[in-house]
Amino acid sequence: MTASRTALIGLIALPLAFSCAFFLVPLATVFAASVTSADGAGLTFASYARILFDEYHWSVMAVTFRLGILTTLICVVIGYPLAWYLVRIVRWRSWRRICVILLILPLFTSNIVRSFGWMVLLGRNGLVNETLESVGLIERPMRFLGTETGILIGLVYILLPFVVLTVGNALAKVDRSVEHASADLGASPASTFWHVTFPLSVPGVVSGAIIVFALAVSAYVTPALLSGGRVTVLAVLVFQQYSTVFDFHYGGALAITLLAFTLAMIGLSSLVSNRGAR
Amino acid sequence: MATVVRSQPQRVDQPSESGQRELVTKKKANTEWHSGCRLLHSQGTSSDFERVTNFVGIIQHPDNRLQAVQAPACEACLKSEQKETTMKHLTVLLCASASALLVAAPTASAQPQSITVAWYGGNWGDAFQACVATPFTEATGIQVVADIGTSTTTLAKLQQQASAPTLDVAYMDGGISELAEEAGVLAAIDLDALPNGANLTDDAAYRNGNKVFAIGGGYYSLGLTYNTEEIGEAPTSWEALWDEDYAGAVTIPSPNNSAGIPFIFFLNQMMGGTPDDFTQTFERLKELDVASYFESSGAANNAFQSGEVVIGAHFNVGAWALIDSGLPIGFTVPSEGVWATDARLHIVEGGPNPEGAAQFLDMAMSAEAAACLAETLYLGPAVSEVELDPEVSRKLPWGQNGSVEDLMFFDWNEVNARRAELTETWNREIAR
Repeated sequence: MTASRTALIGLIALPLAFSCAFFLVPLATVFAASVTSADGAGLTFASYARILFDEYHWSVMAVTFRLGILTTLICVVIGYPLAWYLVRIVRWRSWRRICVILLILPLFTSNIVRSFGWMVLLGRNGLVNETLESVGLIERPMRFLGTETGILIGLVYILLPFVVLTVGNALAKVDRSVEHASADLGASPASTFWHVTFPLSVPGVVSGAIIVFALAVSAYVTPALLSGGRVTVLAVLVFQQYSTVFDFHYGGALAITLLAFTLAMIGLSSLVSNRGAR
Repeated sequence: MATVVRSQPQRVDQPSESGQRELVTKKKANTEWHSGCRLLHSQGTSSDFERVTNFVGIIQHPDNRLQAVQAPACEACLKSEQKETTMKHLTVLLCASASALLVAAPTASAQPQSITVAWYGGNWGDAFQACVATPFTEATGIQVVADIGTSTTTLAKLQQQASAPTLDVAYMDGGISELAEEAGVLAAIDLDALPNGANLTDDAAYRNGNKVFAIGGGYYSLGLTYNTEEIGEAPTSWEALWDEDYAGAVTIPSPNNSAGIPFIFFLNQMMGGTPDDFTQTFERLKELDVASYFESSGAANNAFQSGEVVIGAHFNVGAWALIDSGLPIGFTVPSEGVWATDARLHIVEGGPNPEGAAQFLDMAMSAEAAACLAETLYLGPAVSEVELDPEVSRKLPWGQNGSVEDLMFFDWNEVNARRAELTETWNREIAR
C-alpha cells in the first residue's frame, strides 16, 4: 500500500518537477520581467499599456492571428481528405505505412531547413515561379517571399502533418457499425458522412486545429525566414526585443500577450465546438 | 615529438562501450598517457620534458571536459616502473588508478591547462580555430574549448554566469562589446604585460576610462555587393540601391542584424542628416524596393546566390566567400565609403583561467594570426606589420587601395542609446 503510494507520488512528482523547471519557472521569469520596469522601481503595467493602447501592436496581432487562422483552416481543409484517404481508402497495408512515413518524415528535419527549402522554391527564379511561367499562368514572377502568402504556404506545409495525424486517429476510431446502421436506415453515403462520420471525427479536427493554431501563431523561424523582414508577426517582435534591443520588459509583455490571446482563442473555439457537439 | 603529443587526447576520446565506460576510459586514458610520457622521456631532454608535460598531461574525458594531470605523478609512476620491471603489468594498473584519482580531482594545477573561448559558428569559428586557437595550443600547451554562439547569445551567457563564469575569453562584435562592458562582465586587459600588445594599433584597443576592455580581432565592412551578370560595372555610389532597374531585387540588413541600426546611421550621415533627425533617411528607406531585409549574413548569402537579390549591402566576409566560390558577385567600396566594425576579444571577469586568457589574446595580436585571418576571412588586421598577398589585400574591408583610415565607424554608445528607438521606428514605418 505504502509502496504503491510512494510510487504514485513519484509518478506525479517527476512530471511536475519537470514542468516546473522547464515551463513554469521560465514563464514566471518572463511574466515577472513584463510587470517590472527597467529601473526596477517595482510593479508596473506600462509595458502592457504600451502594447494594448497602440494601433501598431494591434496590426501586428492582426497579421499574426490572420496567419494563424488561415493556416488552421487550410490545414483542416487539406488535411481532412488526406486523413480520410489514409484511413478509409488505402487498403494495401504497406502503402498506408509508406504514406504515414512520408507524412511523418519531414517532422524529423528542422523547421529552419524546411523553411529555407521554401525560400528556394518560392524565390523570384524559384521552381514555383518557373513552373507557373512555363505553363503560361503568369507573365512576370510572382512575389511570394516577403508577403503573407509566402509565410502562409510555409506554415501550412510545416503544420499539415499534425492535422492529418489527429484527424486520422479520430477517423480510425469511428465505429464502422454506426455507419452501416445509417446506411441500413436508408441514408445516402453523403448523408451518412455529414450526419454520422463527420460529427464523430470532430474532436480530432478540433484537437488538430488547436495544435496547428497554437504552433502557427507562435511560429518564429518560418515567418522570420519567409517574410524577408517585411512582414512582422508577434514572435519576431518578441525575438527582436530580446535579442537585439535587450528590452526584456517589453519583450516579456509581448510574449505574455501572445500567450493570453492564443489561450483565449483556443478557449473560445473549444467552447464553440462543444456547443456545436451538443 | 609533436605528433606523439597531439595524438593523446584524440585517442582517449573514444568512449568504450562497456557498462563501466568511464572507468575503463580513464584507465585507458592513463595508460595512453603513460606511454606518451615514457616515449617523450626517452626521446627528449629533461627541459623538453618539462615543457611538454603540460601538454601531455591533458586528458579528455568522455564527457568532454579537459582535465590536467600534474607532472610529478607522471614521473613518480615512471620511477616505480623502472624499479619493478618484472611487475610491469601491476605497476601500470596501480599507476593508472593513482592517476585516475588525480584525474577525478578538480583541476588544481598552478598552470592553466585549458581555456574556454566563446566565438561564432560556421567559417568564422573555423578560422579562429585555425588562426588563433591551434597556434596558441601549439605554443603554450593550453587546450582551447570552443563555446559557439553569436555575440548576443554570448553576452546573455556572460550575464547569466556573472557569479561563476565558465568562459575565459569571448569574441563579440563591436556594439555588443560595449554592452558587455556596461554589464560589468569584462575584465581589464593589461596590454603592457603582453609581448604582442605593442603590435595592436591604438584604435583597436577599446577603452573605458583607463581600462582596456576589448581588443580588435579584425575589421569587416558592410559594402555594396552586386550581381556582376546583371550589373556590368561596379556601382560607384550607394544611390544605386534606389536604381529602378534593381527594384524588388535589393537587400539591406534588418535591425535584427547587428549591422542594421549602424547602417541606418551610415545612410543618415550619407544623406546629410544629423544624428538627431532620421526623418529623411526613413523616407528614403520607405522608397527602397527591397526583396528582403536580411537578418543574418547567411540569409544575405542565400539571396545573392539564388539571384533573388541583384544589389545590396553585404559584409565583405560573406561577399568574398561567394565570389571565391565562383559566383558572379562583386564587392565594392562606393565613393561615400563603407560602414565597418570588428570582431573583438574580451577577457571574462572572474573567468577560470585569467592567465591562459591573456596568453590567448597575446596570440590573437600576433602578426601571424592577423595574416591568417586576413587570408581566410578577409578580416582587416588590427595589428601593424602584417604582410599580405595583393590578392588578399584587395578583398579586405576597405577595398582595393584603402586602409583602416577609409572605414567609417560610429560611436557604439551613441548607436546603442538609439537602438530601441530606431528599431521601433523601423518596425512602424518599414517592416509592415
